[in-house]
Amino acid sequence: MKTAYRVLAYLVATGVFVQAGAIAYAWFATLNDLDGGAVIDSDWEGNLGHAMHGIVGTMVIPLLVIALLIVSFFAKFPGAVRYALIILGLLVLQIVLAFVAFGAPVVGALHGANALAILGVSITAAQRVPRSTTTTDASAPANAVA
Amino acid sequence: MTEREALGRRRRVVAAVVASLLVLGPLAWFWWSSLVPANASVMDMGYPDTGGGPAAASGHGHEPEDGPRVSVATLTGPSGGVPDVELTLTADAGPIEVGGRTVAGYTLNGTSPGPTIEAVVGDLVQVTLVNRSVPDGTTLHWHGVDVPNAEDGVAGVTQDAVPEGGSHVYRFVVEYAGTYWYHSHQVSHAQVRGGLFGALVVRPAAPQEGVEAVAAVHTYGAVPTVNGSTGDLRVDAAAGDRVRVRVVNTGSGVLRAWVPGSGYRLLALDGRDLHDPGRVAEQAVLIGGGGRADLEVTVPDDGSVRVRLGSQSVIVGPADDAPDGDDPRSTLDLLTYGTPTDVGFDPRAVDRRFDYAIGRRPGFVAGRPGLQWTINGHTYPDVPMFVVSEGDVVRMILRNSSGQGHPMHLHGHHLLVLSRDGAPSTGSPWWTDSLELAAGESYEVAFVADNPGVWMDHCHNLPHAQQGLVAHLAYTGVDTPYVLGGDLDNTPE
Repeated sequence: MKTAYRVLAYLVATGVFVQAGAIAYAWFATLNDLDGGAVIDSDWEGNLGHAMHGIVGTMVIPLLVIALLIVSFFAKFPGAVRYALIILGLLVLQIVLAFVAFGAPVVGALHGANALAILGVSITAAQRVPRSTTTTDASAPANAVA
Repeated sequence: MTEREALGRRRRVVAAVVASLLVLGPLAWFWWSSLVPANASVMDMGYPDTGGGPAAASGHGHEPEDGPRVSVATLTGPSGGVPDVELTLTADAGPIEVGGRTVAGYTLNGTSPGPTIEAVVGDLVQVTLVNRSVPDGTTLHWHGVDVPNAEDGVAGVTQDAVPEGGSHVYRFVVEYAGTYWYHSHQVSHAQVRGGLFGALVVRPAAPQEGVEAVAAVHTYGAVPTVNGSTGDLRVDAAAGDRVRVRVVNTGSGVLRAWVPGSGYRLLALDGRDLHDPGRVAEQAVLIGGGGRADLEVTVPDDGSVRVRLGSQSVIVGPADDAPDGDDPRSTLDLLTYGTPTDVGFDPRAVDRRFDYAIGRRPGFVAGRPGLQWTINGHTYPDVPMFVVSEGDVVRMILRNSSGQGHPMHLHGHHLLVLSRDGAPSTGSPWWTDSLELAAGESYEVAFVADNPGVWMDHCHNLPHAQQGLVAHLAYTGVDTPYVLGGDLDNTPE
């Protein structure tokens, strides 16, 4: 379970990299298309980068974070559940910020900043997983479910 | 391991399992309840909203029925009579050429847009739709023409999608002069945007003089066009001619129309004439997705006049070019344009009142997570079925707190705008079938329930409809034999 926890936490971090790359590609590709004579109106649904950002952000990463939370209940090390809950909270905030930003684009800046918080906390969570495979008796009482 | 340790370990495992179920249980329930059952009738979808009127025989759910039920399949146009306008439209899926590029799309009789159908008030129109090669099936919906329900062309609600190799005959009488359009209502977010549409013009019975033109604005991919062409639309006319430009916004977004350096009159909106339309200058007309606006311009003595339709232009007059100018930014307010006249009913004698509040929240629709549109707080398919009886005067308050604009389209009826954000309509009666509801706006509208059937009431930003911004209006005692899904995979959105 500890290994699963570590892998899932790193996958969440990887997801943030993918999201940053996808959205940067999406807008550079858009600018390139505009230079090529394309016209954007509200019919426009974006390109592959936007689609990828939407799918990874609303489906892939949420599934990873929920899996992380489930695994955290069984991973016996201090702070496992707490970190998973913090990541979940930041993810919910991230989705709410995205939702609000459609109507108030300046909120989008916080969406970008909060992504870095998800990245930082998920890497920290992965690194907190004890490397040893045996659990000491002393740490066992801290495993209580949060 | 002592017995006590083993017990403690077992307890922790049980606690972890319980915690997991507490997380997964609600998620699974939300996901499961968002699924749209295969072969579902829209009559069983969501919950009935009777708007304060009687609910008798609303037909919702499977409660026992008293009295005979009318099937929408019987609510057809005239079955007898020789059509005044008769044509066959053959639908194909295939490449179309737009602005020198070849893109995947759809055609009717080999072109996109399809041919413009022209009729005179009172004409019986008969259109045979032949699906030659559209794999998902197709239909035709007569946008803005308040046809009998069975002719409305909504797959899974008023008919089955016409499969490849199949055909379907539509017959209806056109009662109001105006500018309309027709388009597929099967997988419409793909088919309409891919070009499966055309214009429909109904002229007054008295012969009209003067020049007029249809300008159907459509964006194929990221290529904006007028009547399928990326260039200016040229309308030849002589100096002094008054020319009616019938603008059709076939897209999902708002279209702004203005006349640089010249005045114009807005003669009609959504197939209804405006009363006493005055001269407009330095203002743009806002046309929501699916909406139409008839602008009248006068050809100047020294060349042509330009009608700007977003980034595109219509050049009216003898010369190939005309002065251009930026969007005046100011928008013509239809609440105060023109003068009042009789609307044919009393909007104060209300039988039913409905709310149609559009919001947005995270959730599941059809098993997919995302930021979902809500109607009165509910997500598709748990949306209201607005129930009316024939003859009711209905008032509806449309609100939009979703953060994005929505062109709301009620099938089979025209809505009379009473007020916007509390400010009453004091100009010409403002009839609409495609009402652009900007973010934060609210409108109160009224209509007479005079066209029995089961009607879609949805956002005409077609991807939004596909995402679940769809409700229905049903008359008491009317039922539909058609289902969403089914053998023909009816998918109206």
